[in-house]
Amino acid sequence: MRSYLSAFRLRRKMELQYRGAMLGGIICQVVFGLILIALYRALYAGKPQTLPLQHVVTYVWLQQAFFRMLLASDPDLLDKIRSGSIAYDLCRPLNLYGFYYARIMAQKITGSLMRAVPMLLFASLLPEGWGISLPASLPALLLSLLALMLGLLCVSALENITMAFTMRTLDPRGIQAMLNLLMMTLSGNILPLTLFPDSWQKVITLLPYAQLLDAPIRLYTGDVPVGEAWRILLIQAVWIAVLIALGVWLWNRHQKRIVLQGG
Amino acid sequence: MSYIHVDHLQKTFIIRKKRETGRLLREKETVFALRDLSFVIEKGELVGYIGPNGAGKSTTVKILSGILTPDSGNVSVDGRIPWESRREHVRNIGVVFGQRMQLWWDVPILDSYGLLKEIYRIPDADYRQRLKELTEALQLENLLRTPLRQLSLGQRMRAELCGSLLHRPGLLFLDEPTIGLDAVSKLALRDFLRWENREHGTTILLTTHDMEDIAALCSRVMVLGHGQKLYDGDLPALLEKYDTSRTVTVRFEDPETMPALPEEASLSREGDLVKVVYAPGQIPTPEILEKLQQAGTIREMTIQPQNIDVLIAAMYREMDL
Repeated sequence: MRSYLSAFRLRRKMELQYRGAMLGGIICQVVFGLILIALYRALYAGKPQTLPLQHVVTYVWLQQAFFRMLLASDPDLLDKIRSGSIAYDLCRPLNLYGFYYARIMAQKITGSLMRAVPMLLFASLLPEGWGISLPASLPALLLSLLALMLGLLCVSALENITMAFTMRTLDPRGIQAMLNLLMMTLSGNILPLTLFPDSWQKVITLLPYAQLLDAPIRLYTGDVPVGEAWRILLIQAVWIAVLIALGVWLWNRHQKRIVLQGG
Repeated sequence: MSYIHVDHLQKTFIIRKKRETGRLLREKETVFALRDLSFVIEKGELVGYIGPNGAGKSTTVKILSGILTPDSGNVSVDGRIPWESRREHVRNIGVVFGQRMQLWWDVPILDSYGLLKEIYRIPDADYRQRLKELTEALQLENLLRTPLRQLSLGQRMRAELCGSLLHRPGLLFLDEPTIGLDAVSKLALRDFLRWENREHGTTILLTTHDMEDIAALCSRVMVLGHGQKLYDGDLPALLEKYDTSRTVTVRFEDPETMPALPEEASLSREGDLVKVVYAPGQIPTPEILEKLQQAGTIREMTIQPQNIDVLIAAMYREMDL
């Protein structure tokens, strides 16, 4: 266990070094957030929706603040597979799935916290209708934090599955492009899932992508009341179990038939 | 039972080739990386493993270190089958792949070592002692807090080697550890390897294209070609077989001196130096020296054996590699 923790800490330390990337990321995400909010304001001005505008604005800010959690394939890990440096990791007395899981999680937590804290501060200073609003209640906030953690476990498991596939296809770009499209659409990053037609939402919220950020945001805004939070947490837990089991199975399968590139 | 036992090992790879006509489907071709390879290595040996590119050297190392699974054949290292009991097996081995990196690029090397300490569960006291020993021997003391990306190639290789030895492996695989190093770094690295082998009885399998590495370090050498073992024995005996020519360079007191030599020796003049190339098998060296002394007073003389790389190239040619 200590070796996995140690890998986590080292990856966190590495992520903390990229402060320039952090600043660039924050600016990019803030601009994106403002554009999206302007867009929804225009939409609401033309045709008001049943969902309050302030919910949508809060949704957008939270999505942008934690963007790094979604789209952040660890370039180091993928590069290891592409170049064959993974050979070193294969001759360690470790479970590779766990080792990479720890690394992926460290990168996602550190990367998104570094960006989220200043961004949420900024968004809370904006006027009503542009800025983020407070959580629906204290229990709602606590439950959304719990859901965010479960979402993190979920997205790390998803990414580890991408890694396992990369072991087989030897190049991540194809599967990544596909998965990123799914990720951005189905996680609510492009269009808040709360704005999808109700019948669509019934299906989409059951998918793993909705467990990452959509689930915690719905708890934060009170879109899902505290009394029904157990339903969301249960779906998340089921997905975590399924995705980890699938990932471990794929890793074990592919590790046996591995080919190392680059001589 | 020997320490390392390799028995009729075979491994094939499938290479996918693009067809010339630019069709979407690719041709598959099966390539033998290893065919019927067998050898035995005893504990504490320092064995050189040579062969041209693509001979199957790295594949052997990867199978022995539990990364790849062979198609057929048996391997036992310290009584274990590497790819079956991978985690127990790798606990006792160290590997250096000369062209790859195990240390983290963006963090100080000491932090990477800290991670390795946890991975191999090295006790604190043992870790400190070993780290001190290795950093002294590899002259890394001043580099420990430097991120890997800021080290030179030679420094990096020394740092990588230190990382591979922290957990005191009984068996060390070195895959081209001196690739791209300057003369000073190479010599330092060789000294270190000799020391590690002598001091700790570490068994070392050294893969390299640098024949000086082998000559300096290994009493035993295995030659691999086309996935098969072609030679296994000591280096001098191997070289003798292919060592077909010597060059004697002489500077006479009188620069006009031209010695009379048997026809089989070739004679040439470069400035005031006389160069004689001959085959020791045809003309014994003492006979050449005698003839040269008879020709006039010698001011300076050197005898050079054939360049070791030329020898190996001749050997690969003869073995049809």
